[in-house]
Amino acid sequence: MSDDMRLSGKRPVSHRILQLLFSVMLIVNLYPIVWIFFNSLKTDDQLYDNPFNFPAIPKWSNYAEAWVSGKVGQYFMNSVFTSVASVLFILILSTWAAFFISRFEFKGKSFIYSFFILGMLIPLHSTLVPLFIELNHLDLLNTRVTLLFPYTAFNLPISILLLVSYMNTLPRDLEEAGIMDGAGVLDIFARVTLPMVRPVLVTVLVLAFIDTWNEFSYALVLISDSDLKTLPLGIAGMSERYKQNYTLQMAAVMIVLVPTIAFYLSFQKQLTEGMTAGSVKG
Amino acid sequence: MHILYRKRWLIAAGLLPALLVYILFVIFPIFNSVYYSFFDWDGFNEKIWVGWDNFEELWKDSVFWSSFRHNMIFLLFALFGQLTLGLLFAVVLNGKIIKGKGIYRSVFFMPVVLSTVVVSLFWSMMYNYQIGLINNLLIQLGLDSWVRNWLGEPGFAVFAICIALMWQYSGFYMVIFLSALQSVPADVLEAAEIDGAIGFRKTWSVTLPMISGTILTSVALCISYALKTFDMIFVMTKGGPNHATEVMATYMYHSSFSSLRYGYGSAISTAIIVLSFIFIFVSRTIMQKILR
Repeated sequence: MSDDMRLSGKRPVSHRILQLLFSVMLIVNLYPIVWIFFNSLKTDDQLYDNPFNFPAIPKWSNYAEAWVSGKVGQYFMNSVFTSVASVLFILILSTWAAFFISRFEFKGKSFIYSFFILGMLIPLHSTLVPLFIELNHLDLLNTRVTLLFPYTAFNLPISILLLVSYMNTLPRDLEEAGIMDGAGVLDIFARVTLPMVRPVLVTVLVLAFIDTWNEFSYALVLISDSDLKTLPLGIAGMSERYKQNYTLQMAAVMIVLVPTIAFYLSFQKQLTEGMTAGSVKG
Repeated sequence: MHILYRKRWLIAAGLLPALLVYILFVIFPIFNSVYYSFFDWDGFNEKIWVGWDNFEELWKDSVFWSSFRHNMIFLLFALFGQLTLGLLFAVVLNGKIIKGKGIYRSVFFMPVVLSTVVVSLFWSMMYNYQIGLINNLLIQLGLDSWVRNWLGEPGFAVFAICIALMWQYSGFYMVIFLSALQSVPADVLEAAEIDGAIGFRKTWSVTLPMISGTILTSVALCISYALKTFDMIFVMTKGGPNHATEVMATYMYHSSFSSLRYGYGSAISTAIIVLSFIFIFVSRTIMQKILR
């Protein structure tokens, strides 16, 4: 049926309907963000008055108030510290382990690899209670480093999977030549292997960053000190402290939303590839 | 391989750091969770061994089973909402039908990388009785009688959350299917075109079977995500009103950290693990039979 139309260069009706449908979906996805943005610049009275328009005099002070008295600024800094430190640990531990799993021959190698990968199947929430008790025993609840432990540990499986499966596709010639020249293992790791895996290293970094940046459950259970809360935990609590103050909440949501979207747009390729590979191979 | 590559202490030094962190904070807690489920324990006083009591109580606990039922509703919506919509997005965006595919892809995937907390707050505002976008739109359209407290009414709350989940995660399945579709060899599709299988029929009879493996994986992902749903519900309704949106993970949280029954909470955790594995196993068997 569509052959004639394709030849004549016209688009069949069904295609136009699909295009229209997709445009509607696009609006459904984007309009709420615009709506929140408009309302984040209002007083609560203006919001009740008309929740659709852009305010005549935008009230930017909502953002300042959310940042300072809403403590979003502090949560933001806490999140930056937690994510950066976790990602650092994840990168160091996973590349180091992946290097040995991929480049060395030893007994039980495939067992160790599968043992790491298995972690991707474990439902995170089943570890909340025991981990809370474990860290309580170690006197590690409510500290600046508390979240680094589960965040690092739970990101190892996918990071090791991505790194090992990439390393396995690379030839070993360069590393072997390095050994012939008498270079040490550390030398080979740093000068030969690391530069080769740079593309996938970026993927691992981006995935781990977004995961730790967004994480909520562990933060909820392990952190109760309001000075140590990360962004997701902090703004979830804020919605209770400022229950009726919607415009302030919306400003807080925008403060979280904008950097995340910017990050997404800069690393879209790595995020899509990493998430696909992680879910399909695992 | 070279001799250096066989030195035992070296390999141990290579694997131990990651292995240690992983065992201490992932594997050990899992076993602990099973262990604690045989105790009555408030976290402070002495643990009391109670054998299978927690599991017997769980078996008779109507709140637990209604939580489980809500997980099942989320699963159905994930399969027929998120996954199906994702597949539709992928099939259409993989073809030549639509203009500006890159923009659609970016926008549909974007919610996936947002924090679930933000998405939940976002949707709470949309559903809000007074200021919410949805009620206000309904009023604009003259549908005043449809206006309701979406998250406050037991009959609607679960479905309201399903929509929010669909909004956030459809794009995730889209990218998985897109990458699978892109690996379908072009000559297979061209051959089908010559045979006259065009459009919908080509998708149904040629393309989909080629990515059946990915569909299977995605179903397994749907199951494991649906059984561990937590963040969005915790932020939007906390499982309320009156357990109307309670899922297993939120019930586990409340039992442990609100009622301080760590033993019972651990029993629920254990149940979540066991149910996840049973579900994934059963679905794999069924799907493989269908695909054959």
